[in-house]
Amino acid sequence: MFVTDDRVAVDIEIDKEQVCHYIGYDGNHGMSARISSLIDDYAEHAHHLINPLYSYVIKNVEWARGSMALIDDSIIFKSQVVAQLLEHCSQVAILLVTIGKYLEETTSKLARDRLMLQATVLDAIGSDAVEKVADAVQDRIKEIAGTMGLVISRRFSPGYCDWNIGQQRMIFHALTGNTIGVRLTGECLMIPQKSISGIVGIGSSKKHIENYNPCKFCNKQDCPGRR
Amino acid sequence: MPEDIISLIQESVIQGRIYKDDEGMDEGMVGQPGVTELVESALASDLSIQSIITKGLSGGMNIVGQKFEAGEYFIPDMLASAEAVSAAMDILQPRLAASDIKTKGTIIVATVKDDLHDIGKNIVSILLRGAGYTVKDLGNNIDTQAIVDAVREEKPQFLGLSALLTSTMARMADVIQMLEQNGLRDQIKIIVGGAPVSEEFAKSIGADGYGADGFQALAVVEALTSGTEN
Repeated sequence: MFVTDDRVAVDIEIDKEQVCHYIGYDGNHGMSARISSLIDDYAEHAHHLINPLYSYVIKNVEWARGSMALIDDSIIFKSQVVAQLLEHCSQVAILLVTIGKYLEETTSKLARDRLMLQATVLDAIGSDAVEKVADAVQDRIKEIAGTMGLVISRRFSPGYCDWNIGQQRMIFHALTGNTIGVRLTGECLMIPQKSISGIVGIGSSKKHIENYNPCKFCNKQDCPGRR
Repeated sequence: MPEDIISLIQESVIQGRIYKDDEGMDEGMVGQPGVTELVESALASDLSIQSIITKGLSGGMNIVGQKFEAGEYFIPDMLASAEAVSAAMDILQPRLAASDIKTKGTIIVATVKDDLHDIGKNIVSILLRGAGYTVKDLGNNIDTQAIVDAVREEKPQFLGLSALLTSTMARMADVIQMLEQNGLRDQIKIIVGGAPVSEEFAKSIGADGYGADGFQALAVVEALTSGTEN
């Protein structure tokens, strides 16, 4: 499936291995024929339920130090992990992607009908799909950075590491209204839930931002997001 | 042979097979009767509903639980088995209601206010139903007051609360506090769960039990039912 405009083409090819990981398989054990064919069936038909949308802006990093970074005069990110990255970046891409509401409406209906296996598989396919959209946008940001002789960092999102989920509001503020139908709840969860917001640092390859990995300095060994 | 049917029901639960056309955990199962056909056969053979449930369905789920604990089964396998039990219970429910056999108890489950995550809660619900409990699922993002009102009206034996966020897990404490203020706390046992929740957190807010996963939640409810929980 493709979504194209003059900037990004999103090709969503569901990764069965990743879906298996999301639903709890550890990769060392085989799965039953029933569950394997269920994943194949849903993966084949899920594109009817996926409506990939994205929005991103690239802004200048004014300054970053300690646990604070100022972007473009009015955007303040409060996080040591983010500030340590942006300290070495000249610009930052702020992005938001979603696959829309249809897949999760279908998942909810399956769950209401107590078809939890099907709901769980479809939910995992949605998780993989939205990651694919974010990856495509990130690839485009990498291309843009490349034309300026710059490189990009990994993606970071509010709610991970020390970056408070409340900072979602700052991400949405930065997108100046182009929030592609995604809204925030009082607790800063995104609706549709199959949405990803975050930042990607842009800077010189001399600053080694491609390899910036805050996990190296973090003792939380059991963190599910550990890289 | 009646006992054979019970064994086959147990095996169809382990295989997660509802109908004869379903594939199972093992190869070559298609065409053999699934749990719904077997339950119909058992009823036609005048086997007791109680033995179908306890020996066949619950017996099968106990083995599934052991396989899950041992790392042989994963969440989807467990869900396939739980769905098989649920399909069998749909057939048995009208007869159960007409008989004097009681369910093991009623449990209200809810994901607390401001939290939209419900897959974990739904998994626990399906396992509890499969084990013979009546489950009333309030849904997700449920107001503290609405949970307390449901406890007052439904008078369940258990309340299961779920939260996936560190920012919302504190709502569980709010629910317990409001139940206390309304004089309802002593009437129910409260189980909590969700990714950021721990045994220590459960104790700190005054919950009666904590389930790290669906089977643990079920085990805690079973232990509290039989009064063996410390």
